[in-house]
Amino acid sequence: MSTTGRPLSPHIQIYKPQITSVLSILHRVTGGFLCLGAVVFAWWVITLSLGPEPFAVVRSALGSWIGRLLLFAWTFSFFFHLCNGIRHLFWDAGIGFELRTAHASGKAVVAASIAMTIAAFGLAYAM
Amino acid sequence: MARLKLPSNSKVESGKTHRAPPGATNVRRFIVYRWAPDEGSNPRTDSFEVDLDECGPMVLDALIRIKNEVDSTLTFRRSCREGVCGSCSMNIDGVNSLACTTPIRAVKGAVKIFPLPHLPVVKDLVPDMKRFYAQYASIKPWMRAVTPPPPDRERLQSPEDRDRLDGLYECILCACCSTSCPSYWWNGDRYLGPAALLQAYRWISDSRDETSGERLDDLEDPFRLYRCHTIMNCTRACPKGLNPAKAIAEIKKMMVVRQL
Amino acid sequence: MRYRTALSVVRGAGAAKDGTRHWWAQRLTAIALVPLGVGFVVMMIALLGADYDGARAAFAHPVAAALWILFTVALFHHAQLGLQVIVEDYVHSLGLKVAGIIAVKFAAMALGAACIVSIIRVSAGS
Repeated sequence: MSTTGRPLSPHIQIYKPQITSVLSILHRVTGGFLCLGAVVFAWWVITLSLGPEPFAVVRSALGSWIGRLLLFAWTFSFFFHLCNGIRHLFWDAGIGFELRTAHASGKAVVAASIAMTIAAFGLAYAM
Repeated sequence: MARLKLPSNSKVESGKTHRAPPGATNVRRFIVYRWAPDEGSNPRTDSFEVDLDECGPMVLDALIRIKNEVDSTLTFRRSCREGVCGSCSMNIDGVNSLACTTPIRAVKGAVKIFPLPHLPVVKDLVPDMKRFYAQYASIKPWMRAVTPPPPDRERLQSPEDRDRLDGLYECILCACCSTSCPSYWWNGDRYLGPAALLQAYRWISDSRDETSGERLDDLEDPFRLYRCHTIMNCTRACPKGLNPAKAIAEIKKMMVVRQL
Repeated sequence: MRYRTALSVVRGAGAAKDGTRHWWAQRLTAIALVPLGVGFVVMMIALLGADYDGARAAFAHPVAAALWILFTVALFHHAQLGLQVIVEDYVHSLGLKVAGIIAVKFAAMALGAACIVSIIRVSAGS
């Protein structure tokens, strides 16, 4: 709230998206999306203890095309959040802060996440 | 909610266009944020066409030329023109940097110039830096010791200990880093920001200072230090090549290690 | 507010003297979730074709049940810590912020408790 009447300078409207900030917000978005996945996991586990009928509901929901789409999104979110999370853990240890290293590790995280998602889904369909 | 949208009095409208003088061949457009308190209107962007053959190589040279030749009301901070004072920090082509060390050549197409992000605007490209300086003062940027100094000489420091200040003492407090940080945008009233935290680490790292414990105690707060989520826009923006993200990570390490 | 110095606003109510605890807990649960999370994904792929009894069998062995419980605890604790940070970052109205943090913590505890009880029941009954 400005009591002086001064305008606020533009921020997100004009700031150039960079690999640093884009991967950071993607880490948060995938984290939030995985929280929804955690709720679905809870639903799955709870129905396992309730009986075959409630469990069948979950199974068919997850097996539907929208269920598979969500599972694909959760799989990518998981692998991205995992790989970027490990990148974060290295940073927490003080390693990898040179700009060149941070950019390279960012690209590696994206590539690894895509590769692992494809591998997981390939494995899932093979089984 | 964190204000992702600009307040209505801050929305930028389009403004005037100033064409290059006739016969100019090497023309580049500069789109500059303008706002004056006495106009009673919203901020706008003015377009200035500058003949680069008549202008120095840096963005600051273009701004000075525009102020001299076209519109003398254009207002911006500047001093040393060599990247050591930190006055001319602004957002150029979407990234925070110093106008005097940003070559015009480094920008493709029209050069968009805005004030440092998410700060109250005093006029045109001049932001209100009061809170930024107060945050610097709050980390107590001076040497504090419990033991008195030796009576016959200065407090001694080994070359290795002096090396630990490299990459920290060179900060010119231009605010490019703090105003590039989304966490500082959303919580800049309580989060100290990369610049103040880098300086806090400078004093924590100084072997002659004896109050590291108290300095770390003052950062033991979910907002002052821990709004840093290692986004790393700060290191990307620093025009002096410093690494605030790494300094903040070292502070966090010290905060944990002193508990283990 | 107009006459208060900028320094007094920055100094505010002083440092809260807490923050590292949350940061360390998030890193600890993150480290735990590296093997537990990968294990979880592997298990879910393995259980894709499983029917009701087949899925329950994955919880039968006590060590398996323990790992499922550890995964659940680490997952919901890590999720709750992360969501709390999101609320703190983006919600500035104090009432909404407190309500948001309480809601996040209670939801995580409720879901976590429900999962753990279910895992124990499934394991004991398999």
